[in-house]
Amino acid sequence: MFNPENLILKGLPKGHIKDRVVRSLMAGLTYAIVLIAALLFGKIIVDGAPVLFKAQAPFVDFEFLTAKNETLHVFDDAQGTRHQLPASAYSDYIKKHEGTPIFNETTYSYSGGGIAGPIVGTILLTVGSMILALFFGVCAAIYLSEYAKQSPFIHAVRLAILNLAGIPSIVFGLFGFSVFVLAVPVITATPSDRSLLCVPLFINDYVMSFQGWNSSLMAGCATLACMILPVIITASEESLRAVPQGFRDASLALGATRWQTIRKCVIPFSLSGILTSSLLAITRVAGETAPIMFTAAVAAKDDLPWQGLKSPFDLLSSQVQALPYHIYTLAARIPSSEYTQRAQYGSVFVFLVIVAFLSLGSMILRSKLRSKLKW
Amino acid sequence: MPNEEIPENQAAHRFKKRGFSFESAIRYFFASNAGLTIVILTLIIVFLLKEGLGFFPGYRRELEVYRIAGLEFVDISRKNLTDHEQLTSVLNRAYYAEINGKCGRELLRSQEANALFNAYTDQTSSTRDLVLNNTQAGENKESKILAALGTNFAKQKAKALKSLPATPHLSDRERHDLIESIRIRSLESTEDPALVTALAEEFSNAQQKQAESLIGMRATIDAFDAAGAELSMLVSEMTEMVTATKEKIQDADILEKDRKTLLAAASSAKDAVEREKLTAEALASLADKPDVEGPIKKLLERRPQCSDAHRALQKSVEPLAAQLPESLSQPEASRLLSAARQTFPVFITNLEKTLPAIRDWNDKAPVELTAAIGSFLTGKDWVTGGEWQDFYGILPLAAGSLMISIVALVLAIPSGIGAAVYVNQFASNREQSLIKPVIEFIQAIPSVVLGFIGILVFGSVLRDLSTWDSLSWIPGFPIEERLNIFTAGCLLALMSIPTIFSLAEDALNNVPSAYAEASEALGASRVQTTFRVIIPAAFSGILAAVLLGFGRVIGETMVVLLVAGNRIKIPDFTSGLGSFLQPSHTLTGIIAQELGEVPLGSVHYRALFVVGILLFAVVLTINATAHRFVNKMKR
Amino acid sequence: MDTAIEIKNLTFAYSGKQVLHDVTLDIPVRQVTAFIGPSGCGKSTLLRCFNRINDRIPNAKVTGGSIYVHGIDINRRDIDLQELRRRIGMVFQKYNPFPKSIYENVAFSLRLSGLTKRTQLDEIVENALQSAALWDEVKDRLHSSAFGLSGGQQQRLCIARAIANQPEILLMDEPCAALDPLATLKIEELIYELKKQYTIVIVTHNMAQATRCSDRTAFMYLGKLIEYGPTMQIFETPKEPQTEAYVTGTFG
Repeated sequence: MFNPENLILKGLPKGHIKDRVVRSLMAGLTYAIVLIAALLFGKIIVDGAPVLFKAQAPFVDFEFLTAKNETLHVFDDAQGTRHQLPASAYSDYIKKHEGTPIFNETTYSYSGGGIAGPIVGTILLTVGSMILALFFGVCAAIYLSEYAKQSPFIHAVRLAILNLAGIPSIVFGLFGFSVFVLAVPVITATPSDRSLLCVPLFINDYVMSFQGWNSSLMAGCATLACMILPVIITASEESLRAVPQGFRDASLALGATRWQTIRKCVIPFSLSGILTSSLLAITRVAGETAPIMFTAAVAAKDDLPWQGLKSPFDLLSSQVQALPYHIYTLAARIPSSEYTQRAQYGSVFVFLVIVAFLSLGSMILRSKLRSKLKW
Repeated sequence: MPNEEIPENQAAHRFKKRGFSFESAIRYFFASNAGLTIVILTLIIVFLLKEGLGFFPGYRRELEVYRIAGLEFVDISRKNLTDHEQLTSVLNRAYYAEINGKCGRELLRSQEANALFNAYTDQTSSTRDLVLNNTQAGENKESKILAALGTNFAKQKAKALKSLPATPHLSDRERHDLIESIRIRSLESTEDPALVTALAEEFSNAQQKQAESLIGMRATIDAFDAAGAELSMLVSEMTEMVTATKEKIQDADILEKDRKTLLAAASSAKDAVEREKLTAEALASLADKPDVEGPIKKLLERRPQCSDAHRALQKSVEPLAAQLPESLSQPEASRLLSAARQTFPVFITNLEKTLPAIRDWNDKAPVELTAAIGSFLTGKDWVTGGEWQDFYGILPLAAGSLMISIVALVLAIPSGIGAAVYVNQFASNREQSLIKPVIEFIQAIPSVVLGFIGILVFGSVLRDLSTWDSLSWIPGFPIEERLNIFTAGCLLALMSIPTIFSLAEDALNNVPSAYAEASEALGASRVQTTFRVIIPAAFSGILAAVLLGFGRVIGETMVVLLVAGNRIKIPDFTSGLGSFLQPSHTLTGIIAQELGEVPLGSVHYRALFVVGILLFAVVLTINATAHRFVNKMKR
Repeated sequence: MDTAIEIKNLTFAYSGKQVLHDVTLDIPVRQVTAFIGPSGCGKSTLLRCFNRINDRIPNAKVTGGSIYVHGIDINRRDIDLQELRRRIGMVFQKYNPFPKSIYENVAFSLRLSGLTKRTQLDEIVENALQSAALWDEVKDRLHSSAFGLSGGQQQRLCIARAIANQPEILLMDEPCAALDPLATLKIEELIYELKKQYTIVIVTHNMAQATRCSDRTAFMYLGKLIEYGPTMQIFETPKEPQTEAYVTGTFG
């Protein structure tokens, strides 16, 4: 029979210790992840920060950020002093000290100078692909959230988005290579041999030749845009749907057309949400390596992207260096030594700082947005 | 809008007149953008198939050439030859392990003296070279510079002499003498110090002495080695023959292809004269059908010789197994010896089995397309760019991908789900606001950075750890390669933890709070509620999280390319769990590594696209299953 | 008449906002006590204090007064919360069976206390289901999902789940709010049966229901207990004008 005294604890509750153990185990797992992450970042920061920062004003080594990437020459002069010079400074040195011998010369590819080329290349790729993806992605999202009704077409679109989102990045690399590098049409007077199809345009000798854009900024941007498109569409649709239905009803009831409603009552309110989520997409685009390996990136380039251009079109059809590909090259193609560490850890540190800023920015914006927009 | 002043409704009206309203134009514009996703997906599929499907006929032809040129026939014998060589090498290793183990003291002494001297030369050689080079440069050198260099060298020398490695097996006296001899050593001297030479001699004397007791084993090994000579000679002769045939066939294939291109050009040429010309050219270039009958006949004339060689080898090798010593004193040596003893009978049976294969081999046997497909899907070799024969077998790559995924998931599933449960059920708000951003940030780290960390930090740490004596019980330790399946798996685990974490947390969050309330009202504790109600209710969502994590892992490229070690070989499973510490290559990695180097349109190029198709199919299947679970959860 | 729950000067607050003011009342054993009142009057909050399920809500706490269950102050620090909740069953407004089989739903609390013997489990599950008047309807599909049942059946399953533990007191938080009239009738009949064995406290804002199945009624308004007494008296001769206004429907 029920004895009210049983309600009072005698010692620890039953199963208390088991509960404690389970909870601590889970907490342990969780904090282990946090700890490992902290250790990894710590290592990169400890090794990378000295490359970018220095003890005296202005504290930041702008040269690393603004100089172009070159081969590093390491050698001793006659006094036994060791010099580390990037290729251009090295040739100046040789000119200046003509006749005096140097000793123990070794060269390290990609390790000298700064990383201006990769940084600018990554910015170009990111901006280009984000413009494309945002334009097409937001338009598609508008259709999905504002116009779409249940139909086979919509079903197919949703299925396509779902599938696109799951495709591995290397497959996007294959796709970009076979489509944008080798197959998309260009208008030219001298079609290449490997052109898949030539359509005469009847203007002089010009033909539309399906021969691709070669490995170029254009091809890289297009590939990255395809890859990020599903992310942008999903995020934008979410933002658009977050706008209360009442806004649309009110606008339509006042006699506005559908397009006017969308333009005046939906897009303005969802814009900040779309931009916030696209910030996160930027980190992904900027960080991808596999899709640009064969479509846009080049390990070494003598000129910075804006140098030696005859027309803006040249920029689009030239290859670029990119920060993630640069890091890949530094990590995979050259042996690590005390002279290459500056380039290696420096590049990774800079890259990580950029990514951290972007994702921090998106986190802050998101929490601000959440507190601001409460319908 | 072309004109701003016209009110929009009027403009719409104007559109309507043409039977096409502005509003519906906009609608179609947006719809076409949505349709773009379908177009992209279709393009991906079409182009993967377009580049990939050509692989199988191409590979079939390569396999056909492999057969009709007789390479396949040679490979039958060659395989045995390779086995023979491997067995010889194992026996030799056992022999030397025994000898070196027995004169371990002498070996160590010699090594230590060498190490000490090398440490000195490593530290001083660059300055020494400077001095020497400058001395040779001529008399016009300022003596000042020379003096400066000399001082430099002296300083360097003094510094080097202070930081010499320990030499526990040398007596203090010997060490002292050695260091002294280095100290008084002249700059130009190129001879080794006396002690180093003396110890080397001492060691080789000891070796000779030990070898005397193993004279029988040496003789057996030598006899075994010599037994393969005949077959080896035969194989290399046949190799020459078949390579020539293969080249001829390949040249003819190329000519034939060119001719077809010419004919195609001719049929599309507008100008009759041009067409005539191209056709004539095509006809002229009609390749002489390469003579394969002659060479293959010649090759098959060797068939009896080949069988004889096998029989001879078998006969001379068979008694040798019994002559091998029962056991050896050194552990490493006896391990190798017993390995050799185990392979010995297998080797002999293989020799026997080869005889019918040699007898029955037929160059006329057709090579079907299914053989090419089968050889791709179940082939154990991915050999490309070789002089002999290329094989495109997916197994080593698939095995690598799968093993890396297993490591990654074994690590990521408990920690990802554990963290999700902890954050969702037990953590305070303050803890949540620490943990969630950190995990979100891990997600944002580009994979190439993780790969970099893997190469420069994690791999080295793992290698250092593996040399600790206290950890030597772990299978596979100490590791041979710092870049291996396990390293890659660890990093991929870090990559997939955020995916699994956030999706599992979502799933837990979606469990109605009424369940928890009901459970607690029935007297369940927090932990009981979590494990008996919430996790079962979120189970399909958690399963979906795991599957999507798996999809992410298997499709990841940069980390495995950088960290997996890139050795195209099915891991040796005989070492048990240690096989996870071997380097490997992956489906994704092979595409990234080789696509940049292959000629467009070649069989190899197409093979990479087939690998891409395979990846595409696998990942999509995984994702589709995951989404089915998600939908089930939504109910 | 024994007192099952004794509430003395209870005040309660959600994040500083006071929702119960100085409530004092005694709930008798083996009778049905109904709490009535307009939405937001605190009747559910009061009910949820009895098994301290309000502890789940952050920043919600008793700020004064005390509750005694059979003479034990349940807000003492050393109370065995799990045992308390096992002794005081609860049925919620929206029926909430677990996504498990019917059998497992009822056996849930038994398994919690470590009971694994199949025969014993079977017996208790059958008894509970019979007490909840559900046995005949589900005996052939005990191992199919609870979600296959109708709303009324699911709510009766929740009642069976709550009484499988043989509690002393059964709390019912608007148990019929989500049900149609026929299902409601069945639950009311069940309550009538159950009060022979259990002390029942029911929250409802259906006044007809309170008259049909309760012995005593408490009327609450704005977090205060306005009037408490035998049901007949509350509905026929209310002492307070506010009560009268509410029960006659001229409220507000």
